[in-house]
Amino acid sequence: MGGFLDYSPGDSFLHRLNPLAKIFLSLMLSVSCFVTDSSIFCLMIILLNIAMAAVAGISSRALAMLRTLIKFCAFLFFIQVFFIREGNILLSLPFNVYVTDKGAMFSLMMVLRLIGATLPLALMLSITKMNDLSNVLVERVGIPYKYAFSLTTAIRFIPVFTAEMAGIMEAQTARGVAFDTKNIFKKIGLIFPLCVPLLITSVRKIEGAAISAELRGFNCRKRESGYKSYPFKTADIGVSIFALTLAVAGVFIPF
Amino acid sequence: MIRFDNVSYSTNGIKIISDVSFELKKGDFTALIGANGAGKSTVARLCNGLLKPSRGAVNVGGFDTALVRTSRIAKFTGFLFQDPDRQICKNRVRDEIRFSLECVMEDRAEIEMRCERTLKAFSLDGERDPFSMSRGERQRLVLASILATEPELLLLDEPTTGLDYRECMHIMECISVINRKGATVLMVSHDMEIVQDFTREVMVLNDGSLLAHGRTKDIIRDESLLARASLLPPQITELALRLGAGYENVITVDDMVSAVKKKRGGAE
Repeated sequence: MGGFLDYSPGDSFLHRLNPLAKIFLSLMLSVSCFVTDSSIFCLMIILLNIAMAAVAGISSRALAMLRTLIKFCAFLFFIQVFFIREGNILLSLPFNVYVTDKGAMFSLMMVLRLIGATLPLALMLSITKMNDLSNVLVERVGIPYKYAFSLTTAIRFIPVFTAEMAGIMEAQTARGVAFDTKNIFKKIGLIFPLCVPLLITSVRKIEGAAISAELRGFNCRKRESGYKSYPFKTADIGVSIFALTLAVAGVFIPF
Repeated sequence: MIRFDNVSYSTNGIKIISDVSFELKKGDFTALIGANGAGKSTVARLCNGLLKPSRGAVNVGGFDTALVRTSRIAKFTGFLFQDPDRQICKNRVRDEIRFSLECVMEDRAEIEMRCERTLKAFSLDGERDPFSMSRGERQRLVLASILATEPELLLLDEPTTGLDYRECMHIMECISVINRKGATVLMVSHDMEIVQDFTREVMVLNDGSLLAHGRTKDIIRDESLLARASLLPPQITELALRLGAGYENVITVDDMVSAVKKKRGGAE
């Protein structure tokens, strides 16, 4: 199993969609989480994401990401819940610390929105080839190729840098730096010196990629250079309408 | 120093190492050879606890690697990776060596003394920026910062890859010196010439299994064994094997010269 942004090959219904329809779907799913005031609706969007991941055959990857997000969100929830002082007190703790109903609801919505908005983007990137993404942005949206290429390359480099960071941490652990400590704060403190090697290797990799692209005639490329076409089919239109309906429903949902 | 007892290692359901057992004693200089993907680097990483065995036990310097942290094992172990840039994290050569020492000891005076001694031994300019050095120099700096800690066990993961002959010999000479002082060395390598010239024992790994473990001069002459691991003997050994009788003990160029002279002398 690759990193959470690596392309996962497949021939599912979602894989076959036009990349633009996938972008629109993920964008609308994220928007619907932000426009709604309903926690149940947010929860449904998250479940829909998991179901879509299952259809695309990447349910294990989606669940792994959900687990990571839940851990991060639990941390955010506990910080946020103590800072909102309005509303009826639900739980009173020593040192004038208390939890209110408004605080609990706000924090819950915040984490649900965060999960609901992050998952579709990761899902879309997992089932779309970066080349297709940049090509469709050039062909259909009219973004200059240089910018589309830069955007998709930046996304593609995230898992590369994650792997590089893991390698650097491994090398530093081998020389005695205690990255294997259970203390999370100590671990964060130890990560800062690693910015130097990560930055150096990142710049080298980017420079190498830029030179390689230049030598292959990157600057000669025009909008018409792409040989693949990305027609918008009935399924793409259907998915786009469904996505738009969800976003609108998010505003008016009564529960 | 290192003992593997029926060690297996799997990741994502794929078996990388299968039922490997061996023992290395203090002062050994052993090479780990095999084709790409044979599991050599995995064995090296299992040796200092960077990876924990899925089955079996790895014992290093009296510690079960599954039970202690890698940073604890690193107190007496040095690990040289193929890519020096992953290990360098300071902007001055002196700071890089000092950082390595600070990871394993606390005595400031001792750290400064060892740092200066290492700079001198490796002819390094302490004020230089490591990232402005050549790849070979950076690899030498990383080795210097490891050797400054005087490790009892040195693990080398293809230390000479990408280096020219001069840099390669420089690195290997440094490693030989620390081995002669009593350190145990386990070196992963593809370079059969280096293996032949510097190591005393060889382990052959194929598809995650240990095919053979024996004296270097015996292993590198066993063509069928090497072929099973998709390897070729060093050129001088291959030549000696093809020449046949009278060249059985040829391992180095000097051996070949002696053998040829002896043959010619005999013919005369």
